[in-house]
Amino acid sequence: MAEPPVAQLTGVYAVSALGRGADAQLAGVLAGAPAFGPVRRFDTTTRRVAVAATLPDVGTLADELAAAIDAACAAAGLTDVRRAGCALLLAVHGGPAPGAGPAPAALAGQLALRTGLSGPTRVYTSACVSASTAVADAAALIARGDLDRAVVAAGYLVEPDQFALFDAGRALADDGAVRPFSAGRRGLLLGDGVAAVVLESRAAARRRDGGPVATLVGWGRAGDAFHPCQPDPSGTGLAHAVRAALRRAGLSPQAVGYVNANATGTAQSDAAEAAALRQALDGYAAQVPVSSTKALHGHALEASGLLELVVTALALRHGELPVNAGWRGPDEACPLDVITDRPRRTTATHALTLNAAFGGANTALLVGAP
Amino acid sequence: MRELARACWPEADDGDVPGVPGFVFSGFAPVVVAVAERCLRRRYGTGPVPAATRTAIVLVTASGDRASAEHVRATVEAGGRVGPLFFYQSVPNSVAGHIAARWGLRGPVICLSPTGDPYADGTAEATLLRDDGDADEVLLVLIEQAPDTSTEAVAVLLGEGARP
Repeated sequence: MAEPPVAQLTGVYAVSALGRGADAQLAGVLAGAPAFGPVRRFDTTTRRVAVAATLPDVGTLADELAAAIDAACAAAGLTDVRRAGCALLLAVHGGPAPGAGPAPAALAGQLALRTGLSGPTRVYTSACVSASTAVADAAALIARGDLDRAVVAAGYLVEPDQFALFDAGRALADDGAVRPFSAGRRGLLLGDGVAAVVLESRAAARRRDGGPVATLVGWGRAGDAFHPCQPDPSGTGLAHAVRAALRRAGLSPQAVGYVNANATGTAQSDAAEAAALRQALDGYAAQVPVSSTKALHGHALEASGLLELVVTALALRHGELPVNAGWRGPDEACPLDVITDRPRRTTATHALTLNAAFGGANTALLVGAP
Repeated sequence: MRELARACWPEADDGDVPGVPGFVFSGFAPVVVAVAERCLRRRYGTGPVPAATRTAIVLVTASGDRASAEHVRATVEAGGRVGPLFFYQSVPNSVAGHIAARWGLRGPVICLSPTGDPYADGTAEATLLRDDGDADEVLLVLIEQAPDTSTEAVAVLLGEGARP
């Protein structure tokens, strides 16, 4: 029987308000202290909410992305020779760039040049599934034999335009906390996120010393066909994505030992995600430990899927699952095993990380322990 | 993949693009809807697409909704409040979701900023989704919004079926 297609996650790096580097992300999510505070990066006096998870002394998006790519490549042991021919899949906000920054395609070209990645480039602007779609595509390109390795990079730094839009849409939590799946949740809060990962075929990874951080054993992408910006309350589209990820891996729902949920702390979105998990994991959904680390590092929009993949992979390897901060009590619309008080030890071998976006876009990435 | 249907906006005799409920200020979303629906009608009549067909949307645009983005930026720079409809108009996914809901497109929703030829980027993504098993057909929409010219777009439905 043929082995299921997999991609090895051989180097990871991330920056968020939890700190700089992969270790800082793991320590931050296990500490369980939300990183939200008053926004000082720009004027918020006319905004309804003035809170986000921002990292002090952050550089430009281009500089932070270049540094993240370099760090992930170094962690994977990629020499200059091995970076040559390596693809770059970038996830950022589309359209005109904020401030004086380059437009997305130009940014991808500049980053490839700065970091010595001379393979093909592709730029994803699919809102909050941009990065997770890029990861799924990178794995698919490796599985199809197009590539031996790819770098996926993603970045969002809290800035005034998106902040104003989320504020105008009354999407931001006016109590200053993100409470995924919880009773009394009042919305999301934005957060900085820049991340990069190196994905390699098993054969390419085997040629070097050192084991992978994790293995991407399955992935799925599917649409709701429901509404421009509301999730399907039945969760059917997200459930299709989860089932696709399990099918690719040849695994049953019982193999899933943790779900890093998309849950943003928004009433209808979290309930739809709970419904999706009940559909996709059959009767097992209520037994799987679940948390959304957006309650700690905030919502990094286009970068959220990559930041959360890094967190999921590190937590699985470490054997301890992060808490779902902001918990006030159960919501009957979200009957899940939410990790509410302290990190939970685990011997799980597989974890899902889920993302969803406007347009009814859904992704599921299934991570295997190294 | 085969080209099952194709449409442009504008085509001969097109006047102003019809508005789309919920989308304001900019022609971006109306043109995406007009060209996508014209393409889908040429294949599926009044729709929706058959339930067993998973149709992805791949929206390729470098500019995105430039008009809306520039309006938001100017409003924010002036210290003003933006209208709530701009919230979901700020990402191209939303109009893709509008089309997906209307036509029953249950495949992936993906937006790309082209790094090379937009059609080549879009068809490469479409083929990958097909080969990877997440889509049977792909509605590819290419659109650019320039500052001083009317917005133009092309939509192509790609799949394995016979062209009618």
